[in-house]
Amino acid sequence: MSLEQPRQPDAGVTPEGDLDYDELADLLGERVLDREEHINAEGFVVRPDEVEDTLSTLKQEAGFDHLSCVTAQDYQDRYESIYHLKKYDDPTQELSVVVPTTRDDPTSESAAGVFDTADWQEREAFDLVGVDYEGHPDPRRILLPETWQGHPLSQDYNQDKPQIVPLREHANPTEERTNVPQESDTMFINIGPHHPATHGVLHIKTTLDGEQVADIDPDVGYLHRCEEQMCQQSTYRHQIMPYPDRWDYISAGILNEWAYARAAEDMADLAVPEYAQVIRTMSAEMCRIAAHLLAVGTFALDIYGDFTAIFMYAIRDREVIQNLLEDLTGQRLMFNYLRLGGVAWDLPEPREEYFESVRDFLDEWPSRLEEYHNLLTSNELFQMRVVDTGILPPEEAKSYGATGPVARGSGVDYDLRRDDPYGYYDQLDWDVVTDEGCDNFARASVRLQEMEESARIIEQCVDLLEDWPEDERDIQSNVPRTLKPEPDTEIYRAVEGAKGELGIYMRSDGTDKPARFKIRSPCFCNLQTLPVMAEGEYIPDMIAALGSLDIVLGEVDR
Amino acid sequence: MTLPETLNGLLPIGGLAGEVVAAVIGAALIGTIMLTNTAVAGPWAKRKITAKFTDRIAVNRVGPAGLLIIVADAVRLLAKELIVPEGVDRPAWDLAPLLIASSALLGFAVIPMGSGLQLADPETGLAFVFAVASMASLGLVMAGYASNNKFSFLGGLRAVAQNLAYEIPLVLTGASVVLFTGTLQMSEIVAAQQGALFTLGPVAIPSWFAFVNPFAFVLFMIANLAEVGRNPFDIPEAPTEIVAGYQTEYSSVYFVLVYLGEFVHIFLGGAIAATLFLGGPAGPILPGFVWFLIKIWAVFLFTQWARSALPRVRIDQLIQIGWKGMLVLSFANLVLTAVIVGAIA
Repeated sequence: MSLEQPRQPDAGVTPEGDLDYDELADLLGERVLDREEHINAEGFVVRPDEVEDTLSTLKQEAGFDHLSCVTAQDYQDRYESIYHLKKYDDPTQELSVVVPTTRDDPTSESAAGVFDTADWQEREAFDLVGVDYEGHPDPRRILLPETWQGHPLSQDYNQDKPQIVPLREHANPTEERTNVPQESDTMFINIGPHHPATHGVLHIKTTLDGEQVADIDPDVGYLHRCEEQMCQQSTYRHQIMPYPDRWDYISAGILNEWAYARAAEDMADLAVPEYAQVIRTMSAEMCRIAAHLLAVGTFALDIYGDFTAIFMYAIRDREVIQNLLEDLTGQRLMFNYLRLGGVAWDLPEPREEYFESVRDFLDEWPSRLEEYHNLLTSNELFQMRVVDTGILPPEEAKSYGATGPVARGSGVDYDLRRDDPYGYYDQLDWDVVTDEGCDNFARASVRLQEMEESARIIEQCVDLLEDWPEDERDIQSNVPRTLKPEPDTEIYRAVEGAKGELGIYMRSDGTDKPARFKIRSPCFCNLQTLPVMAEGEYIPDMIAALGSLDIVLGEVDR
Repeated sequence: MTLPETLNGLLPIGGLAGEVVAAVIGAALIGTIMLTNTAVAGPWAKRKITAKFTDRIAVNRVGPAGLLIIVADAVRLLAKELIVPEGVDRPAWDLAPLLIASSALLGFAVIPMGSGLQLADPETGLAFVFAVASMASLGLVMAGYASNNKFSFLGGLRAVAQNLAYEIPLVLTGASVVLFTGTLQMSEIVAAQQGALFTLGPVAIPSWFAFVNPFAFVLFMIANLAEVGRNPFDIPEAPTEIVAGYQTEYSSVYFVLVYLGEFVHIFLGGAIAATLFLGGPAGPILPGFVWFLIKIWAVFLFTQWARSALPRVRIDQLIQIGWKGMLVLSFANLVLTAVIVGAIA
């Protein structure tokens, strides 16, 4: 034991482990201009030229090591950036740093020097809303083409003006395409947007030194579908719920719906019957298994080549889950099953038959997992390929805001299902899986073990549902026909999606539609870590690292 | 007696003209046999085999057991537009598919297929077959370099690195067989394996070199996987990394030729393995040619199995396995064989 314990950065925490906002305000002193009440946390208003200073104080001394989300929005009189801070050790301790700027000169200091994840998040805020971040290392657009005119989510944007971006305007052959000096003996290559291993339309601008990756720059936005704006134009009560299915569209639908349901229910203070919570928990874990199966299957595809048996086995097992979800929700991909205050309908009749088919799956499951372990984790050639490649150190993972299996594969013990409980998770017996390996192998292995835990959760839910008294099966609480939260209610809420922390920020303006709807996509943040993992590695390892990140471009680009 | 000699005896033409005609007919016959095998293997058998490994059904609509897919695929592929990308290095780009396809086919000229099917039986048969088989590497480099595509270029470079690392172990392991037989002539190598190694009750185990020296056989099969570019050594193509490697830009007929060349090459690898280690066309009851086909298809099945089950190694790992592992082992095998042969003598 060392005598000198590192000083815990715990300013602003009471002995009981709660957050003391007054003490935090004292810590920041003069920098806090005003304090706002958001539902999830307090918001400290700071000057636009003191962002970096404030955030670094909060990170160093108050232990806010997780910049969960950066939201930008504009009001009639000002632009505003909100930095949603959390702690990896306890994500219920939250703090928002609100940075208003004037409408005429929306310039705000960049936080990229404190949190690496702010790099892309501020680029997105600039791209869609139009806040300029001073001192940003790479102030380019990220989702829209570089020649785009205006910022679509700002109020003075003309949505009717057509913008056509032909390739010859978008791609400038003379521009510097890489940070690597021209005279060095390297080769520039575009991996994607159409490439067998990019899992969608991802474009990775790669500079190769021989077979080794010297520099990469992921280019996203090819699948941008204005999801945030569509949600802003839809009513809380019914119209938004179908959209989350389309973010992470590979079977994680119910997990995504839950992110919106949780945020909206907390915002409008709606209760959810316990019975519905159990059904939600069960169906969400089914989605997680289906999503992880696809992740493992496609990862195997990246390592083995396009004729591997593992991918087909994964699809075969996923099919069983899909059938269960279809029986429950009536849909195979876009479930639209959750409702505010409950779920759409009860379990399918006859219930016994449904329970039996779920139990059949659960009985088969250990032997299936065994098969994956035989084919993947205990295969020596596979180990040779993935162990100690694509290293993501835990500190980098935290700084880039990595969550989900990516963070847990780097030994960051962070799972919102346990740390910020919702649904029925805190009453069930299951474990959070972490792995200290930090490599491609660790991430794949975490997913395999998480599927085991998900099966445990499903089993307990089935036990509960089977014995649920017939007259207490409420699937829906009373929810007003039209939801109109108080004006200027603000909330940021996250759930543990298949890929990590899926958060929703909403601000109401008193109407039945949100004034700002911001999605914190786990894939978007996880993808930022790719250069850390891949630079200096061989091309195959870069592809493996990308596969181990398990990104879905629908969620990255939204 | 080789096939042209037999044909020459049957033809009513004498002299040089008769020899030429007989040679052409013989070559056409052997070529047709091998291309038929490839046609069955490429569009149909490969799909069926992979499907079996991955719990699927694969082609079953066109014709009995989906067999007519061979015709359908041939028509489909030939009917496609031949896209010539801008800036390709024209003669090389056109010649590469031809070279890939023909070099493998050329190898079959000296393979004894049993039932009198052998085109030529020169004294340097084994050297010839290794020489023409490795010409395919030249085709891969040409295709990769001439395509004016960076993925193709990487694929071409990888093909060179891989073939350099694996040709030497392959040839050295083949040479260990020559130490036993004392000749490079293919028919003599087959003849040397006809005796019984030992008898297990009523079953006589033939003295195939796979039984005499299993170590060499295993080495040869591994080197052969790299030679024909199948998992875990399909690095020159590596679809998830470099799209399709050297064949990225080829379409239509050229694509067919490249693909055909690959499959003929797998069969040639199988044929060399059969001749050197599995007693060539030897086997009980069935005619020699049928046994020969069974053996080359068994090797083909092995490559497809590896493809479904084994991860692709990385290029640096491949080079390491080749130069630090296979090369040392194949030299050890050569020395060991020399000692054994010396002891017997």
